[in-house]
This record gives sequence, C-alpha cells and structure tokens, in this order.
Amino acid sequence: MNYPTDPKYSKEEWDKLSKAFIDGKPFVMEKGETILNFVRRYKEKGLVPTLCDAPNLEAFGSCRVCSVEVALTENGPTKTMASCHTPLNEGMYVYTSTEAVKKLRKNIIELVLTDHPLDCLTCEVNGNCELQTVAAQVGIRDVRYPKGENHQDCDKDLSHPYMTSDFSKCINCYRCVRACDEVQGQFVLSMAGRGFDAHIVKGDNVSFMESDCVSCGACAQACPTSAISDVYQSKAIIAEKTTRTVCTYCGVGCNLEVSTTSNKILSIQAPYEAEANAGHTCLKGRYAFQFYNHPERLNSPMIKRNGEFEKVSWDEVYEFLANKFTTIKSDYGADAIAGISSARCTNEENYLMQKFIRAVIGTNNIDGCARVCHSPTALGMQRTFGTGAATNSIEDIDHTECMMVIGANPTAAHPVTGAKIKQRALKGKTLIVIDPRKTELANLADYHIALRPGTNVAVLNMMLRYIIDEGLVDESFIETRTEGFEDFKANLLKLDLDEMAKIAKVDKELVRKAAIAYAKSSAAMSFHGLGVTEHSQGTFTVMQIADLAMITGNIGRKGVGVNPLRGQNNVQGAADMGVQPHQGAGYLDVTKPDIIKKYEDFYDVKMPGEIGYKIPEMFEAAIAGKLKALWIIGEDVVQTDPNTQKVIKALNSLDLLIVQELFMTETAKHADVILPGASFLEKSGTFTNGERRVQRVQAAVEPIEGTKPDGQIIVDMMNKMGYAQPDYDAATMLEEISQIVPFFAGAKWDTLGDNGKQWPILPDGTDTKILHGETFRRGKGKFYYYDFKESEEITSHGKDYPYIITTNRDLEHYNCGAMTRRTKNVEIHTEDVLWINPKDAQAKGIVNGDLVCVESPRGKVDIKAFVTEGVNEGVLSTTFHFPEIMVNNITSDVHDSEAKCPEYKVVSVNIRKARKTHMRKEGELV
Amino acid sequence: MCDYNRTHMSKNLSNLSGRKGLQHNLYELLGNSAEANEGTPNPKDLKRLAKDFLMGRANTYGAASFYDFLKPENKGKKVYYCNGSSCMTAGTQNKVMDKLKSNFKEEEIGHICCLGRCHENSSFHYEGKNYSGDSINQIDEIIQQKTKVADAYTIGHSGPQILTGNDLTLDEVKNTLKDIFRKGRETILSDIKASGLRGRGGAGFPIGFKLESAKNTPSDSRFIVCNADEGDPGAYSDRYLMEFQPMKLLLGMLIAGYVVGAEWGVLYIRFEYPESLEIINKAIETLEKENLIGENILGSDFSYFFKTIKARGAYICGEETSLLSSIEGQRAEVRVRPPYPTQEGLFNKPTVVNNVETLACLPFVINHGGEAYKSIGRGKSTGTKLVSLDGFFNNPGIYEVEMGTPFQEVIENLGGGLKEPIKAMHIGGPLGGLVPKEKWGDLTVDFESFAEHGFLLGHASVVCIPMDFPLVKYVQHLFQFTSDESCGKCFPCRLGSKRGAEMFEKAQAGNYSIDEELLTDLLTTLETGSLCALGGGLPLPIKNALQYFRNEFEPYFSKNHIAV
Repeated sequence: MNYPTDPKYSKEEWDKLSKAFIDGKPFVMEKGETILNFVRRYKEKGLVPTLCDAPNLEAFGSCRVCSVEVALTENGPTKTMASCHTPLNEGMYVYTSTEAVKKLRKNIIELVLTDHPLDCLTCEVNGNCELQTVAAQVGIRDVRYPKGENHQDCDKDLSHPYMTSDFSKCINCYRCVRACDEVQGQFVLSMAGRGFDAHIVKGDNVSFMESDCVSCGACAQACPTSAISDVYQSKAIIAEKTTRTVCTYCGVGCNLEVSTTSNKILSIQAPYEAEANAGHTCLKGRYAFQFYNHPERLNSPMIKRNGEFEKVSWDEVYEFLANKFTTIKSDYGADAIAGISSARCTNEENYLMQKFIRAVIGTNNIDGCARVCHSPTALGMQRTFGTGAATNSIEDIDHTECMMVIGANPTAAHPVTGAKIKQRALKGKTLIVIDPRKTELANLADYHIALRPGTNVAVLNMMLRYIIDEGLVDESFIETRTEGFEDFKANLLKLDLDEMAKIAKVDKELVRKAAIAYAKSSAAMSFHGLGVTEHSQGTFTVMQIADLAMITGNIGRKGVGVNPLRGQNNVQGAADMGVQPHQGAGYLDVTKPDIIKKYEDFYDVKMPGEIGYKIPEMFEAAIAGKLKALWIIGEDVVQTDPNTQKVIKALNSLDLLIVQELFMTETAKHADVILPGASFLEKSGTFTNGERRVQRVQAAVEPIEGTKPDGQIIVDMMNKMGYAQPDYDAATMLEEISQIVPFFAGAKWDTLGDNGKQWPILPDGTDTKILHGETFRRGKGKFYYYDFKESEEITSHGKDYPYIITTNRDLEHYNCGAMTRRTKNVEIHTEDVLWINPKDAQAKGIVNGDLVCVESPRGKVDIKAFVTEGVNEGVLSTTFHFPEIMVNNITSDVHDSEAKCPEYKVVSVNIRKARKTHMRKEGELV
Repeated sequence: MCDYNRTHMSKNLSNLSGRKGLQHNLYELLGNSAEANEGTPNPKDLKRLAKDFLMGRANTYGAASFYDFLKPENKGKKVYYCNGSSCMTAGTQNKVMDKLKSNFKEEEIGHICCLGRCHENSSFHYEGKNYSGDSINQIDEIIQQKTKVADAYTIGHSGPQILTGNDLTLDEVKNTLKDIFRKGRETILSDIKASGLRGRGGAGFPIGFKLESAKNTPSDSRFIVCNADEGDPGAYSDRYLMEFQPMKLLLGMLIAGYVVGAEWGVLYIRFEYPESLEIINKAIETLEKENLIGENILGSDFSYFFKTIKARGAYICGEETSLLSSIEGQRAEVRVRPPYPTQEGLFNKPTVVNNVETLACLPFVINHGGEAYKSIGRGKSTGTKLVSLDGFFNNPGIYEVEMGTPFQEVIENLGGGLKEPIKAMHIGGPLGGLVPKEKWGDLTVDFESFAEHGFLLGHASVVCIPMDFPLVKYVQHLFQFTSDESCGKCFPCRLGSKRGAEMFEKAQAGNYSIDEELLTDLLTTLETGSLCALGGGLPLPIKNALQYFRNEFEPYFSKNHIAV
C-alpha cells in the first residue's frame, strides 16, 4: 500500500486512508460499502457483471453472477463471494477476473440459458437486454445441457392498458418483485412455487388487470429482460434520441427520460440518478402521455363569432386581442383586465404572464391556481417562518423517525413521495395520519385520527396542548429561535380538550398518543396537502403545523420540517414568479414604493401599485361588471373551481374571455378566444417542485402543428402591444428572472444540471436543501394562536344539509382530467364515485353502484355510490376528474379567511337515492 | 456514485408480519386455514389474511404455494408415505405404497420427506400421526382407529450423559432459573462462552458469540428461536430430545432468552413430528402452570413466553434465515448475510437461532459450569454429540457419545454392527459426506475429524446404502431432492440441481451419456456459486460418490470427455 493510485491524495493522506485492493491495486474504500459498490466506483461496469442487482434495490444475491474471489492477504487463499452483498473489509484483496470466477459466471449463465428462449433477434429488448449483455460479456457460446424441463410455454399477459408480461423470458432475478415491494410498496408481485418451479405471480395468480397493480411501471423498468414490459416497449432500443425532462403532473417533480423517434414519443422511463425520484415515477408520469398528440388537441387559434368558434391565423388573433385589450383599457382602465396564469406552465411562462399583466397591461390582477390549493400554505408559512415553501427535501424522508401526514393522500396525489413515505413507515418509523378518510397511508399508520372534515384547528390545538401538558416542548429551541410562545401557551392552556374532541369527533387518547409520538421523536417531519388548506381556517391550520414543528424543535435540520405537498408540477414556481396579486416576481410587495421602483427600473415602464384581484374576486368583479377581460392559461375553472354556476355566470359576464389550452375544456367552451398552447413535452423552461427544486424541462418533440409554446404566445402578445420582449427561450428568460428574483440569483440554464437546484440559489450557484437552519427567514419563528371556528358552511347550512362531502383525488387522474382522460388511464379508472359509509348507505337505502343525488344549497349532482368503511358516518367523499359529474356544482364559495382559498373540503349536503339510473352524458346540460 | 437506499435493509414484509406480534401469527393462520380446508388455505382466507396484514394477495398466495402442506396440490391428501433417503435405501416403500393404494385413492396419497422413523422405516403419516416398522401391516386397524402404534428405538450412551438420561424435574428447572437470576446475565454469558459449545445444526458456530451479538444489538425486542426443523433424512436426535427431554430444551431456551433479554422463545417444529409438537406444547403448559414462564418469572425482572410454530413442510427451513421468513408467514427464501439474524432476525429484530440439541445443552453448562462442559469432548469440539443410527444397524437408535469418540466404536459397540453389508454411509444429512467403508475407521465423532477427511459431521445422522443400491440412482435422488427443496432464489441451486437430476435421469434411461466435464462444471458452480449450504453442500456427497465409487459411474459417462 505504498503508492497512491489516485493522484488527488498526497502520500501522507494516502497512508492514513482505509484501502482495499482490486486485482492487486489499492483503492480508497468507503465505510460499509459492498465489494460490488467498491469495484463499480473505480472500474467499468462490465468488469463484474450482474443480473439481479439494480440501482434502486437492496442487494439480493440471487444470480451469483457478480461473484469474485476474495483473499485476506496478497495472493493468499481465496474464497468465492457474491460481491453485491458481501461487505468490503479493509485490506481485502478482491480478484474480479480470475479464471475460476470467469468460468463460474459463464457456467451460471449457461444454466440460465437452459430455461430461456433463444429468440433474441425477435425479442423487443434485443440490444438492451441485460441477460444478452452479460451472456456476451462472459463469452457463452453454447448450452451443453441436454434439453430439459423449462418454463417457455407461459402465456403473455396483455390484459392491461399499460403493463405486459411474458414470463417465458423470466430469469427469476426477483427485480420486479423487489421493485414492487421496496420501491412502490404495493406487493402485487411475488414468487410462487418452490425450487425449479418457482415463478412470478401477480396477485393470487391473476392478470395485471385483475391484480392490485397501480401501473407505476417500476417492475417493467427493473426487469432485465422483456419478462415484464409495457405496451410502449420502453426498453426497446428503437428510439432516435432520449430527452431528459420533468413531469408535468404533480409537485413531486419526477425526472423523466423521453424516448422519441421522428418527432414522436415512444415511451418514458425514470432515470435512476434523479434526486427527486431515483428511478421511480407513477403511471401518470410514465404512461399517461398520449394526450400530447390526441386528436382533440386544439390546433389553431379561434375566435367565437355568432356563438361558433372560427379558426383564425395567429396574426389575426393577436390583432384582435391587441385591439380588444386597448379598447377595454381605454374604456375601463387597466384594472378591468385580469390574467390567470397556469401552474402547469414553466417558470419562464409564468414570469412572462405576470409581466404581461403588470408591465404591459398595467394592473396587478394576476393570480394562479395556487389560490385554490396552497395559497394558505404560502401565506401561513410566510407569517410564521418568513418563507412560503417546504422547509426540507424529499430525501429527508430517509432520515426521519416520525411522519405526520395531514390532509393529504400522497400515495394517490403525489405517488412517488407517497411511496417513499410508505417505505419509511414499512421500516417501522412512526406514521401519524390526520384525515377524515381511510387513505392508503392511514391503513398503515400507527395513529389515524379520522376527524370530522373542517376541524383541523381543533385537533392540532389538542396536540399542541398535550405536548405542553406532557412537558415535551423543546425549551431551548423556543427560547432561542422563536417569539410569542408565552401568549400562545396561555391560550392553549385555556383550551377545553373534551369540547374539542367532541367537535372533531375524535378519541382524545388517540390524539394525545399521536402528539406524544410526534414530540418524542428525534426527527419528526410533517406533510400536508389540500385537506389542510382548502378550509375556512386553512391558513391558520398551516400555522399550527408550523407551531407543532417549532414547539418540538423540528426545524432546520435533516428529517424534520413542514413540507407542503404542492399539488401541481409548478405551483411553487408560479408563486415564486409573481403569479399573485399582492406580490410580484420573487414575493416582493407590489404596494411598496421601493419595490415598485425596482420593478419600474427593471421593466422600464410605469408599474401598478394597488393589490389586484384574487381569483374569487375576479369572478365577483366580473359579475359586478368591473372586470371586462380575463385571460386564463391552462386552468379549467368551470370544472375545478367551486360553485360552478357562479363561475359560469362570471365568465359569461365578461366582454372578453381568452382561454389558452390544450383541449376544449369546460372553461374553454365559454371562451371568446382560444389560444392553442403546447404541452410540457413540446417546450423548454423550468419547473420548481415541492421541495423548491428548479429543474430543466426540455422539449422532447416539436409543438404539434398549429400550436405554440405558451411563453411564445405571451411574448407575441407583448410585442403586439408594443412591449419589446425577445422570443421565448428558456435560457434567456431564466437569465432575466435571475436578475429580478433574489433567490434565483444563481439559477442559470447551463449550470442547473440534470437534477436542478433548490432555491435559494446563491449567486455562486450554491443551492439550499434545508431552510431555516440557523435563523428563520423572518428572524424568529412566530407563534400565533387561533381558536377553532366552525365553518360558515356548517353554521348556515349544517342543519338542513346534515352530511359533509369532502373532495379529493384519485391516483389515475389529474385534477379536471383534461390530460389523463385522454390517455388509457380511463381504462383503469373510469368514473368519479361517492364514498359513503355503510350505515349511511343503509339508512338511505343505497347499495353499491346506485346513483346518489347529492344536494347542497348551490345545486345537486348524481354520483355513483361506493359503500366503504373508508369514511365515517356523516361523511362523504368524491373526486372531480370527470366532467360528467361536475361536483363543483355543489361546492360552496366559502373561502379561507386569509388567503381566499375555497373550502372544497367541507360542503354541507343532503343525499338520497337518485331518480335517474344513468349518468349525464357529455354535452348534456348541467 | 449515489448509493440510494442500500444503507437500510428492505424487510417490509417482515415488518408487516411483526406488527401483529407472535400471537397473531401469519404462518399459523395460513396453517389453520389449510387444516380447515382439506390441506390448503382457501383463496378467500388468503385474500383476507393479505388484507389483514396489509400485504399483497401475491404474498399470501406465494407463501402458501411454497410449503408442501399448504400448497394447492396438497388439497385432499389423506395419507403420506415417506420418500426420504433412509426409507428409500431400506427399500421398504414399495410395499408401503401398495398397501396404501389398496386403502386410498391415488390422489389421496402424498409424500412426505422423513418422519424421523429411520430406525425402522416403512414410514407413513396418516391423520396427524406417524407410523413405521410393522404398522403398515395394521393399516386397516389404523384407519378404523382401533390401534395406536408407537415406535421404539434404543437410547444409549458411551460416556457422560448430558442429553440422555432423565429429563429435568420441575424443581431442577426452578432451581436453575433461580441460579441464573442470582448470577446475572453477564456471568451466565461468560459461562456459556467458556463451555465452547458449538451449534449442533451443522455449521458448528459457537452459541456464545450469537448470544453476545444479539444481546449487544440495540433493539426494543429480541427473540430466541429454536430450529426444530430437523429435516435431514436419517436424523431423529432432535425428535428424541423434544419427546424425551423437553425440559432441557425449554430451560435452554429460557437461559438463552435471559442472557440476551428476549421476551419470546419460538420453537419452529416440523410438521413431520406431530408427537414432538404435542409433547413440547404440554411441557410449556406445565411450565406455565408452575409459573416458571410468564411475566416476571419467580419475581425477577425477566419475563418470557413460548410460542410453538407448526412448520408446513420445507426442508430449506432448516436454514436459519429461511426459517425466520417462514415464521413470518413469508416464503422461506434464504436471506443474504449480513445482516446476521443476531442483528436483524425475526421481524427484523435481533434473534438467536439455534438447533434443539445445542439449546438442550445449556442447562448442563449452567448447572455444571462452562469449564466442566469444555472438559468433555475433544479440542474445539466440546461436549457430547447425539448420533442417529438407521435400521441397517443391529441396534438402531440414538446414542450420546463424547466428541472425539472413534466412529468405528459407535458402529460396533453402540450400533451393534450392521445387519447386512453396506457400501457407504451417508452421514450428516443429504449435504453430508458419503463415507465409504474403508474410511469408517479413520473417523472420530467431532467436527474436525470429519472435515479433515473431506466429510461433514453435520447432525451426525447415518443413512446406510446397501451394496445393491446403485449410487447413480442415489446421486439422482440427491439432485432431485435439492431441486424439489431449493428455495428457488439463487440461480445455481434452482437451475443446477434440476439439470443435474435430468442428466442422471436421462443417463439411466439410456438415451444420454453424461459429459463429465459438464458435470464437474455443474458441481463447481453449485459449490462455489450457491447462496446457502443447500446448493453449496450438494456437491460433497456427489463428489465423494464419484471419487470412491467411480466404477459405478463410468458406464454413464461419454467416452470423449475424460476429466483431467
């Protein structure tokens, strides 16, 4: 060990380091690594071939192809060991390529080939098959065994819209079984039988379609052959190119690798080295991409004339819009115009949209869908911590000891993060779920507090109080890092715990135990979703979650924090970019003179100084005749905003409704002008995921004919309106953003890299994984106390409408379903259903599958009943993925008192068995 | 390079099973369902259990399909004939089959691998009871429940009696417990370490190290598991201990539990040993009645409970990690090590797994001191060893001999010599060495002597191979046994054992000549490439056979491939 093989070490450093040997030469080892890991860090992959090993799975040791010889002294007696699961010890001599191990590998592969069809040339993975590669590496020429029993007469499984299997190609490496277990945690796959008869089964020996498969595709990606694959033949090597980009669905921000040929998308895989998703993604990210060239894609600008849409040229539509905007502005003022930007679009596009509204039109009437989802998170966390974003990162789940999931169903809505939380819980880490519904995570939880919808504040106050009562507060954290605790505590001590428990319909003892578990944990992490924010006390609830973290010192280190599960792919980014009526790009206060000056200097125009309309206020203003023009990008407010009839009335009151969309959504039908935008697969820019990670979106294909990237449409309009803005380009736009948004200072297109960077990104490019490490953004964290207050919806209507319906999402569909309903996801999940407790169902004479008329003070809808213990008595739940139902006809326009986020989660309703027996057909009047 | 989640082990199913604790045991529930449903759990139960345990339907289905007495093919089986090597070489089973066929339909007859009746053979299993020897002649009375037939075998010894002789009385158990509580765990552990007691299951690993490792692994709970899955055909010494020395075994588990701070002792007892399970359960009841187990035993801070698990037929469960998966209701697939069971064992908690015979030695070690135990035996093989002799001996039975006793002495003095000339003894189970006559005199009964001569002491069971039994057939049987019993996880064992069996089958059928180079490659692949001792151990007896009885194989080898 007397010479450094790595020039980066000096002789002295080298001598101190722990080393082991690869084929006689010393290399620096890492503590606790396996022999395979050690060899792979220094040598090419083929030196030690493997079959059962996969980058995102535990070492398993089934194929034995990775065997090496190991000696304790140089040229000493050796032992053959499987390198994938044998720990490396200091001073070990690893021989990777002795004649004996080369022969062993070859002999094992020969055995594998005795039970494998030798039809490589017609196999879909020809050229990208790990067995084929390893067979070539070990130099196998022929199989010497006499023909014996084999498993080559298995039937192909083509039952599923996405997943396929052909187990005659299976080599029993268990990678699919392990992926389903260790990555997704779904346990759909297992081995059955024993010995030579051992074989893969799905469920209790059923097809993919009949199994509980969630179509995440982890098994197909893990499979080294074509034994499990998908209808897109994702592992085939026919693609001309692959493009790394970021998923457009939820806020997890999965990195995707898109294979294309001749400007057509073939398939999507998840890169293993992606920090956000480590080789995993869900069926939306991996398979639900067919919408992009669906025949129903809007492919021309259109102007509605005499009630009919007419296709027009881009020049004509721009001319038409410029004239309209100019007229409205001169007749009614700039504040008669508003924009709703889209969290589905890139940062650059959102930035441009708010810039257009502010700098070109001259109003702060810009808002986005965050209004209806996480606006209370941004506001609440800003008030308490100073920053309205997740304090920690997804990878922190690997370090946490306790997870509290409140008002979120991540295994459906944020599947990759959900799977990660599930995995951590399966490792025995504490899981607390606060949710009226028995979600997948609730089933697995140590404590599931199934509270009455709308009583989060009551339950969280109980938890805070119990933590104080049990003496579990982190006094030194409170002392050094926070303010306002004494008042806060005094208020909590006045709390009537029995009354709160009664209000929330929860077991006091369960809440107490959960509070103790959270407080006693060495690292507790909370996750919240729309079940927190979409309430009349949404902002307060967010602040209480923050209080829980502060009172127990769970802030500013690994495995802790307050982590909102952001709904849309770029909802974080949209707010960061200034898509809010009170804050411009970078969360700067649009009413402050110094800020106004800063923007005016930067944009070289006069900037508005009044806070603009939030989305609900836009609707009010439209109805009141004050708002005349509205430009909506990528949001179906008719289907997804509450109180549909009111929304429609507002839209119909406008002089000009512009809808920029991919499809003719319910909202688009009401438009005066349609602008055909481009999907994420057709454009470049950046998305910021829920952990503040700014990642590069890169066009995989050209926009389909007749459409344009949304950013280019905005740029065209800016120029048309006389504001010189260069053509849309991701790099130059990000450059402009980095000059005005302080926490984007170091965000440069060329240096974001494959995994992006988490803001704040310092000018030198350093990013930030964990916020509030030493101090809070606002200095000290601030405790605020709020009493529980019953929602107005309940106090006004609860008597006549005694049931509460709460809305949620399913795994297979994304929000209004405009995209996912135009994929094969509809074959898996076909309709919205109504969850109803068996006792309620019985009382109303309702059985599974009956149409149930759900009536609220706003209207009524018919939904098919799904009788389940998943909700308590008096509670109902449904989704609004399908326009056939239009659940938002019944939701209320009660809003969060602070952020104006609608209370989708508490709607007073009554139910009865419907008179109709069939669902509304598309096109039928609501 | 990013190393993802390799730092923590994925044992999700272990964890899910462990959440329910031992009282609500998945494996037991699968077994109960099988018993209530003609031998295999009904599909509804499998679904319900999967849901109950938050697992997938594939998990309960896959687990059930793994075990001989849970798998769907077991449905409707009423009687099982033994197809283990001892009954096979004894040549008794054709008659047994004929007799059974005249009383049962073909589809009602299953097979079962070794009932531990190797001393008299002709073994079969009917309605939860084992029969052997002359019983087959009374099959009608057995079916009509008119007779109860017990087996008989000699129990002997040639030196100190640690495991034979009288079992412990309740007073003796009580006094030993008082004694250990007085001495404390550290003292007991050092006594056990001083004894040099090594695992009798085959690997010979010192029990003291296992106890120490489990004790020192931080955890909220720990387990002692007794491996009573004595699956080696020819071995029935653990059966003897469970049926005649239950208190020694249970006290041994209590002592081990006390040392590591375990609250549960789990006995994983073979399906094939119904009497053992019954006797152990009774002994546990007795201890319970006497308050010698339970909460705060004898007023100490030590609480301990027993759980017996009725196994469901899988030879691989003798391998400790498979056994642990089996208790968890999983498929009994071999796990990689590390982590060792003492670090992450049952339900991912530190667990000491030891064989019946090893644990049954502990009361002696405690009562007489580690040094006293160490003074018995030879070198690193301390203490005594039970030897199981099969029906070819004049005095078949279980013999306790001091480690180091000449093997010839066992054959002649204890076994009383052989009834007929035999050509080899298969010692230490199917994975032990095949010892030709000329080597018997070289061996002494201890780990080292057997290893030095290229054999394996293993469980010290002896299966004799008579002169007229072709070794080609025996080797095919060994390959076939491994192919049936392989957990199916590692490639060499799953595929290699099957291909080996096929080679010998085809060769005997006369339409194939064995390529000797290929056979050598296959044996090397199994030996160096397998994950556990099943695939890895299979080549030993086969290589012995090829070495010592080459002439029997020559006719089956192709001429153009002569091994170097």
